[in-house]
Amino acid sequence: MADTSNIIEIRELTKNYGDRRAIDHLSFNVKKGEVVGFLGPNGAGKTTTMKIVTGFIAPTTGEVKIAGYDVFEDPYEVKRRIGYLPETPPVYGDMIVADYLDFVARLKGVESSRVPGLVARALEKTQLTDVRKRLIQNLSKGYRQRVGLAQAIVSDPEILILDEPTVGLDPRQVAEIRRLLQELRGSHTIVLSTHILSEVQATCDRAIIINGGRIVAEDTLTGLTNRLRGNSQIHIRVRRNASDLAQALERVSGVTEVEMSGMQIRVQGHLSDDLIEKISEAAVQQRAGLLEMTQPDAGLENIFIELTSQH
Amino acid sequence: MRSILLIAKKDFKQVVTSPLFFVICAFCTIVWTIMYRVFLQQFASQSMMSMMQGSQAGQSLMNTVFMQHISVVNLVLIFTLPALMMRLISEEKKLHTYDLLLTSPVSSTDIAVGKFLAGFGIATVLLFVSFLYPAFTRILADFNWSTLFVLYFGIWLLTALYSAVGLFASSFTESALLSLFIGVVFNLLIWFAGQSGAGSDIQWVASVSNYISVGQHLVHFLKGMIKISSLVFFVSSTAFFVFLSQRVVESSRWR
Ligand SMILES: Nc1ncnc2c1ncn2[C@@H]1O[C@H](COP(=O)(O)OP(=O)(O)OP(=O)(O)O)[C@@H](O)[C@H]1O
Ligand SMILES: [Mg+2]
Repeated sequence: MADTSNIIEIRELTKNYGDRRAIDHLSFNVKKGEVVGFLGPNGAGKTTTMKIVTGFIAPTTGEVKIAGYDVFEDPYEVKRRIGYLPETPPVYGDMIVADYLDFVARLKGVESSRVPGLVARALEKTQLTDVRKRLIQNLSKGYRQRVGLAQAIVSDPEILILDEPTVGLDPRQVAEIRRLLQELRGSHTIVLSTHILSEVQATCDRAIIINGGRIVAEDTLTGLTNRLRGNSQIHIRVRRNASDLAQALERVSGVTEVEMSGMQIRVQGHLSDDLIEKISEAAVQQRAGLLEMTQPDAGLENIFIELTSQH
Repeated sequence: MRSILLIAKKDFKQVVTSPLFFVICAFCTIVWTIMYRVFLQQFASQSMMSMMQGSQAGQSLMNTVFMQHISVVNLVLIFTLPALMMRLISEEKKLHTYDLLLTSPVSSTDIAVGKFLAGFGIATVLLFVSFLYPAFTRILADFNWSTLFVLYFGIWLLTALYSAVGLFASSFTESALLSLFIGVVFNLLIWFAGQSGAGSDIQWVASVSNYISVGQHLVHFLKGMIKISSLVFFVSSTAFFVFLSQRVVESSRWR
């Protein structure tokens, strides 16, 4: 048996829709308590993978184990442990929020005595308490998305599988969802899919990047950022002496390329704290009047585009 | 069992509180009221002519007014029950709440049986409304309650079959309208199946036709008889359509 700390084990998962292959020999594990970002461009196979993991559809080949139970041999044991937010929130427009959550909790097999408490908790965590008596069809898209999220957590499952949880939300609500995910981490194992990188940066321990149904990278966030370190940039803006500074910077060890345009200098090199210190020292020595020094936040963005375009 | 009742309760509540249900109830009441008046008047003028007496009047009330009423009820149910059942599964698919059902720890059987019970419950409500007409006729004329109950028991079994058919029609499409159409066609087929072969010279064709002819079974109930073969027919054909629905739900897990 594999490591018992892996609560999700996926082996050689393949899914064909007709003769179209959506995912292709996908294998990965998720440890208990981990927050994993499932990242990929449109059509990469994120939703398909999640549908298989939750037992909604069957794979063509391969196996999925949740807490040691096979999804297709012990579907109930698996489904009891998973809260799932599909791409479209699975809500009934003609039900009121509280009744809906009550129904979902019971459907998930929660004992009757625990239902009211769990419903109240889910309402509170997703900040829906104020609208609990409203018909779901009268709620805005963002609120419906939150009802979808409340539905996923209402049975207090060990594992949360969230398919693009922040899609369609305004920035404030996105921030709220992220805060909620922070709150849930530790007590739940979370897998969330997204094609937004900042989402992974904000909430996840680890990212699995897939493209065309295959895993193209799987690493912790620092791991992914480190990959980029070998080849990243710093932008500098100075008041004067830009060309002197540019010449001086070319001599600094670790710098591979310097480019100057007006009072702006772009330095390419093997970025480390040492190098950054050297660059700023150079700027002081040349009396250039350092105004700004930034590391463009294109980190993961670059990796993502690079990894997902080679197809 | 718990999941079955949970799903049945939810679906029953959803349909019964829907505007469609009120529209259909209103429609049924109007049609039944108009027709029932006509039947009663016909009966009244006929009995005046033949000067029927007490107990005989009861039996002939059964054979004329109640039977005509039952045929109208049956005809209305053939069209309205699929309209009430059409959303049971197709709507779940359309709203993606099907995803929730299929990723919950409930079996396809729980889903099919739960939804069937919801549909049957709704059909029972409608049938109860139609029962009020003959029941209140008791104010005007004397008749035997038990015969009426037996007749309604028969019709009740028939609505179970219609509900199962409606559920099945709803199970394999996302389009409520298409499922309505399929449901009506199936109900008509059921009603007319057996009609065609009943007069056949070939012995076995005639008896098979008789057995699958819903009308033939109802004739027994109308006479106040509950035949085992009729019970078996209705229960097994209903179970068959629930089973088909269960297969369709189950198959969607494997696509
Ligand atoms: N029911 C289906 N029938 C046929 N092909 C499908 C079906 N569902 C998905 N696909 C195909 O499988 C591939 C993977 O789709 P999937 O929905 O898993 O992508 P995704 O990563 O979730 O994309 P997005 O970011 O757009 O949600 C796509 O090429 C899609 O066209
Ligand atoms: Mg998707």
